[in-house]
Amino acid sequence: MTAVQPGPAGSLASLLGAVSGASFAEAGNAVTVRIPVAQLETAVHHLATTGARLADLFAAGQDPAVLHLVWALDAQQQYLIVQADVTGDEYPPLSDIAPAAFAEECEIYEQFGIRPATGKPLNRVALPPHAGPDFPRLGHRPGQAPAEIHAPHTVGGHAFEFPFGPVRQVGMESLYYGLVTSGEEIVDLYLFTWHKHRGLEWRLRGRTPRDALFHVERTEGLSAIAMSWAFTAAVEAALGVDPPSAAQRTRAVALELERLYNHAAATAALCQATGLSIGQSAAEIALERLLRLNAAVFGHRYLFGVMETGGVRRAPDAAELRGQLPAAQSELCRAADALLATNSFLDRLEACGIVTTEQARRLGLVGPVARAAGVSIDTRLDQPAPPYFQHPPAVAARTSGDVLARFGVMHDEAAESVRLIGDLLDAGAGAGTANVPSTGGSGLGWAESSRGEALAWVALGADGRISRARLRPASVRNWRGFDDACRSQNVFTDVPIIEASFWLTVAGTAR
Amino acid sequence: MTLWFLRGLRRGVVTTWYPARPDSSAASLPTPPVFRADVLDRATADRLVEVCPSRALRRESDTLIFDLGACTACGRCQDAAPEAATPSGEFELAATSRAHLVKRIPLLREARS
Repeated sequence: MTAVQPGPAGSLASLLGAVSGASFAEAGNAVTVRIPVAQLETAVHHLATTGARLADLFAAGQDPAVLHLVWALDAQQQYLIVQADVTGDEYPPLSDIAPAAFAEECEIYEQFGIRPATGKPLNRVALPPHAGPDFPRLGHRPGQAPAEIHAPHTVGGHAFEFPFGPVRQVGMESLYYGLVTSGEEIVDLYLFTWHKHRGLEWRLRGRTPRDALFHVERTEGLSAIAMSWAFTAAVEAALGVDPPSAAQRTRAVALELERLYNHAAATAALCQATGLSIGQSAAEIALERLLRLNAAVFGHRYLFGVMETGGVRRAPDAAELRGQLPAAQSELCRAADALLATNSFLDRLEACGIVTTEQARRLGLVGPVARAAGVSIDTRLDQPAPPYFQHPPAVAARTSGDVLARFGVMHDEAAESVRLIGDLLDAGAGAGTANVPSTGGSGLGWAESSRGEALAWVALGADGRISRARLRPASVRNWRGFDDACRSQNVFTDVPIIEASFWLTVAGTAR
Repeated sequence: MTLWFLRGLRRGVVTTWYPARPDSSAASLPTPPVFRADVLDRATADRLVEVCPSRALRRESDTLIFDLGACTACGRCQDAAPEAATPSGEFELAATSRAHLVKRIPLLREARS
């Protein structure tokens, strides 16, 4: 598949001009446009060629199912949602034009039974193979089971598949790698990510946003703040609620603490993957300090229970944070600086697991993985919402796209997080919630997790309960770049290094 | 590598015997609730069962059954009925049998006024 080349930024006006029958549906924090399904290819081609970034694709409702394409117009600091009713079993093929849509086309087929009209094979991505007729789905069961991407154990010639997982050592999540190899070099890599599927989007239906938040926090435990911020922002957009400014700053403080401990954990994992046990211990000391700091400041090591619809439940202990953060950060900084001066460590990172700029764009990658490959997207800056208008972050970026570039981005971001936390505390961070009515509506929310852009879309019924919630953590996006990174002239022992540098979760994608 | 060896020696041992030193941040961590049987009636118990997101609570006739192993210490029961549920301050759940983590709390026969 060939991606279309991005051009100047797309806009709502030009889309409405290019597509016949399009109608402006509603405004809010994202513009929604409804188009006839027959015009979908034209719209996707227009947006993809005018620089818009396909951030998500999902379906909602039944008979007809409604496709939702979430486009990020980064240059215009705006999200655009394109909706189209699909009355039959098929809709125009979108991933032929925007390859980033393929994984979602597969997921929509599993959950709603509708598929692109080309008849191309769709892979199993979310639901396990034992999902029978009674397995809970968001829509209709597909007519035929999705295709297995499992490669035969003997691929051909001297290549064979080396199965790895889904049960892995220590705390690693359930994930199956099919490593196709001729002995040392990785020829191909398949991922099975459905072992942890929990049907979270299905479970959220019928719940109030407050009840749902408990589950949303657990979508991807290492992004509890980012995912719950995206979700609460979507609910607030749907209901027209503005959280208090001090609460918005508290959310941003918690988000930066989450980024800090994730980057420390990724640094420790990189050391473990390269066999540098003292470096690993040094990074883990920093990680433990940061987790204890979270507990002291917000009452939970992984920052659960901070967020609330309409605001936050807890205010940070500012004195504790100001007192302990510099020591925890300098612990991490010392470890990272020593690693950057260790040639045997850098040799393993340099030119390893390369993601090119073209691949990052084509696959719609986000976060440090994209920024290290020269695609400098950060929703805190590109899609700013309070409190980032007053507190914009400096975005770290690299161009080489290898593990070293990703490590460099994370190292820079950790320092920037500490600066940002200081700014936010100076401006005043507190607890508090706005009044949240129990009415209907729909809205989009987002937050920049340590892995990149996290998105949520919520539709509420007239009774204020959720009729459809879409959760799209950054891991959903970035796993699709992992196999490409592993194929780029790497050997077996590079895989753990690349995995640590991506620092993704399986829970995020098998939600 | 020699530098890393020396760096490791210089940093020294940072782990501690458990529980030789109390963790200063433990006091602020969320902990599972303890329930006061003297104020728990059926209506309060039903309210607690309703708000528990992890289904750690259920009522069987005049008994509230609390599965400590399913509790995530989210604090919602403590918010909903602060007079009946208070933080235990205890988050160490070692038990020799899964059944030991399931607590049975008798409820008041008559509703509290």
